[in-house]
Amino acid sequence: MIPARMAPHEARVSGCYAELDVVEVALFVTCLTDTFFPRVGEAVVRVLRHFGCRVEFPEGQTCCGQPAFNSGFHTEAAALARRMIPVFAPYEQVVTPSASCATMVKMHFPELLADEAGWREAAVRLAAKTYEFTTFLRERLDVDIAAHLSFDEPVTFHFPCHAREAYGPEDLHNWLAHGKPADLCVPEHNDLCCGFGGVFAVDYPEISEPMLADRLEDLVASGARLVICNEGGCTLSLAGGTHRRGLPLRFKHIAECLAESLGLMEPER
Amino acid sequence: MNADQNQPRDSRARTPELPPARAAMTAFIDALRQRLRDFESRASLPQELEQTVRQVVADDDLPTRFTRAATSVGLEVHAGSPTDWMDVIADILRKHEAHSVVVQLDTDSPLGEHATAELGNRLTTDGFEPTTVVADETLFSADAAVTSVAAAIAETGTIVCPSGPDLARGASLLPPIHVAVVQTSQLVPDQCDYFDQLAGQAGLPANINLITGPSKTADIEGILVTGVHGPRHVHVVLVSP
Amino acid sequence: MSTRKAFRQRVCEAVADERAVHLATWHKMEARAESMRQLRDPEAICELAARIKQHTLENLPRYLEQFVAQVERSGGCVHFAADADAARRIICDIAAAHGAKLAVKGKSMTSEEIHLNDALEAVGVRTVETDLGEFIVQIDHDRPSHIVTPIIHKDRRQIAQAMTRATGCAYTEDAEELTAIARRYLRDIFRRCELGITGVNFGVAESGTLCVCTNEGNGRMSSTRPRVHVALMGIEKLVPRLRDLPVFLKLLARSSTGQPLTVYTTLITGPKRADDPDGPEELHVVLLDNGRSELLAGEFAEVLRCIRCGACLNACPVYRNIGGHAYGSVYPGPIGSLVTPLLQGLDEHAELPRASSLCGACRVVCPVKIDIPGLLVRLRARTRRSQPLLKRVAMRAWKWMMKSPTRYRWAQWWLPRLLPDCRDGWFRGGPGPLGAWTRSRDLPIPPKQSFRKLWRERLSDER
Repeated sequence: MIPARMAPHEARVSGCYAELDVVEVALFVTCLTDTFFPRVGEAVVRVLRHFGCRVEFPEGQTCCGQPAFNSGFHTEAAALARRMIPVFAPYEQVVTPSASCATMVKMHFPELLADEAGWREAAVRLAAKTYEFTTFLRERLDVDIAAHLSFDEPVTFHFPCHAREAYGPEDLHNWLAHGKPADLCVPEHNDLCCGFGGVFAVDYPEISEPMLADRLEDLVASGARLVICNEGGCTLSLAGGTHRRGLPLRFKHIAECLAESLGLMEPER
Repeated sequence: MNADQNQPRDSRARTPELPPARAAMTAFIDALRQRLRDFESRASLPQELEQTVRQVVADDDLPTRFTRAATSVGLEVHAGSPTDWMDVIADILRKHEAHSVVVQLDTDSPLGEHATAELGNRLTTDGFEPTTVVADETLFSADAAVTSVAAAIAETGTIVCPSGPDLARGASLLPPIHVAVVQTSQLVPDQCDYFDQLAGQAGLPANINLITGPSKTADIEGILVTGVHGPRHVHVVLVSP
Repeated sequence: MSTRKAFRQRVCEAVADERAVHLATWHKMEARAESMRQLRDPEAICELAARIKQHTLENLPRYLEQFVAQVERSGGCVHFAADADAARRIICDIAAAHGAKLAVKGKSMTSEEIHLNDALEAVGVRTVETDLGEFIVQIDHDRPSHIVTPIIHKDRRQIAQAMTRATGCAYTEDAEELTAIARRYLRDIFRRCELGITGVNFGVAESGTLCVCTNEGNGRMSSTRPRVHVALMGIEKLVPRLRDLPVFLKLLARSSTGQPLTVYTTLITGPKRADDPDGPEELHVVLLDNGRSELLAGEFAEVLRCIRCGACLNACPVYRNIGGHAYGSVYPGPIGSLVTPLLQGLDEHAELPRASSLCGACRVVCPVKIDIPGLLVRLRARTRRSQPLLKRVAMRAWKWMMKSPTRYRWAQWWLPRLLPDCRDGWFRGGPGPLGAWTRSRDLPIPPKQSFRKLWRERLSDER
């Protein structure tokens, strides 16, 4: 029999998930992932459930306002923050596959609403319970990411610059290097912007373009064909550039890799 | 502020005949104070720096560390002793085919107040042309200069050359070859130690040069070239007791 | 031409051309990283440096007073210049007072900021740059493109041609020979010059000491040979104590070029003493404001911590691709994108803070931990009114759409139907912002089933 109130990681070890102390999570899927990469959202849900979470999807969510914030349109960004906070207020934790959107909520929502009594406290509360996906796995569910990853081809990675607050290029490197089999082709520059930068890509295409070219050259030179990229914007830009140039690269979010490695989803080719 | 702030307190100062800038300065600082009046200073001045910053401790083998660091920045280090340091210098000069040599050894240095005369005699005997005259005529045309140092920093392979009575700045700058005589007792472990020492000094010389290698540039396509405006070759004779 | 158009034109010209900058900046990044690894705890030293600078800025009046008193006590003379105009006047007056006709300059970004050379030439003072890179910039009538290595954009051929033209020497592309030619030429000038102008890396308040860090020896020459030495210093260059210097010295050269220290770290305290055989008879320290004090009590104060190491330029993928000239300013790169609009006008330079992907590589390498991306965003917010109309309208529209889940879903429904499927699920070209995107990339047509559809249809019921 499974003792009541077993912690998630203990349940994982013993293989019993049925009656453990369930962690309730609200998924903040992000507008880009929702629209362009629904498979990533699905992978996040399946992986979280596998590790003992009950996942809810608040339908009222839209966009965290990051494009407006980064461009300096702070009135608009604040309006979207005020919109988003009540949507997630009823939940204990919020998990998102995008580190940049997590940073937006955790760092910038409180900043944007600092002068508004009531909203400021609500923003701080939401910030405290919002997690980037891999951070949630590691810190709240005690999951050893590397231990659950397996690949059947060489793999490389693009570190998304805006993930810096959540994890570093060395972390990504370590998860992939210790996955099975360890066939990690490290790009020559493991920390190099892809040129997306949100609105920057359409505002300054003449600068974004050579930055994209540099990054793609680097990834191709690594020798691997599968690129782990955990950020929707970067993937849109890199995949779009890959397709335009006819390069042999494919992009996956680490959630998809985990879901496939754990047998929760069919591998996508 | 006193009304006579405009008068130089130091009799050696030479304040030229220029419009007084004192009023403008005072006004500016006062305006700055006003601007910062409501601003609460949050950053305190750190007191404990050494623990974080120190690289080399006193226990380390300072001559070895110095030699390693100095060599890695392009100084040529030669071991010497109280009996053969002049031989070492003569050899260095001979190897460079130097002839005219400016000799500038501080009378306060551990080499002793007669070191300049001794070295001068020895170099003359060996066929060099030493001089203790430190003026444009000698400094611009000399093949080499031999100087003492005030200190040397093991951490970075740095030699310290101050200005002073009979200590010209140009000696370690103008001739293409500079030979510095360093006693191991003058070695300090780390930059922290040197600057602590300096802070404790009663008055600073007008000019101190911390020299860490030969003059160099990489401005042309990143190619390293030595001897740009300063010496191309810097030798250290490290004299152990 | 509007500033926006002018900037874009410079960028387009530059992008075609910048392999030299690519190689040089990568090389410097590696050298910096290698050099920082030699420190026991580089992050902790950077935190210390940031705190010392921040403290000094927050208490600047006190430290300025102390510094001024100490410089005067050691026999130097201090001048205050509220702006570039005042600084030029002060220095020209000093030159005139001494009948100087030939001046030499050590490398000083501050002197470029105030366009000093032009002012001196206008009053009959021939002003010769002596840092090799700046010398070549001068004889080639060019502008520096990097705050530490000014001719990072020039190749040997261009340098050789400039050298022959200016000095009449035999043509050579050999770096050693070119350097030797410059050395001879400038040595003669050093012999004859009457006025020397340098910058200051750090001014020590407790002793009135100027710390000047150089590699070539021209800084030493410029502050030793002439009768009069003018040291031009931004007010933010102060540090409180002599023992604060090693904190910065251990970071400056490593961050700049990967060296543990520059070849010469010169500590100047007053003019020559009576019994010094050489050195300047007079030392004039010119303290420059030129907009810095405006920043002190505000949200951008931390940009004044900058020690001008250039590490952010070497780390920046934008700088790497567009080079220094595209910024159209004395201070290029990430720090330039902040300092130029802040000191020289937000509206004229509004493009600079926007031309960044906010990747944060600059913040990682900054030895005084300036939050450059965060400040760039704040600057964008400040210059919001000068954003193009289309962008402002688009942001408002975005907000309107995102405020309602219904409108959001509606947009999601429309998007795949609006974008014609040009090739197997990818969109290749369109007007306006879409065209800007599709210049260099395709856009995937969004799947018909968005995540939220997927959730409703399948995922929500599974547990």
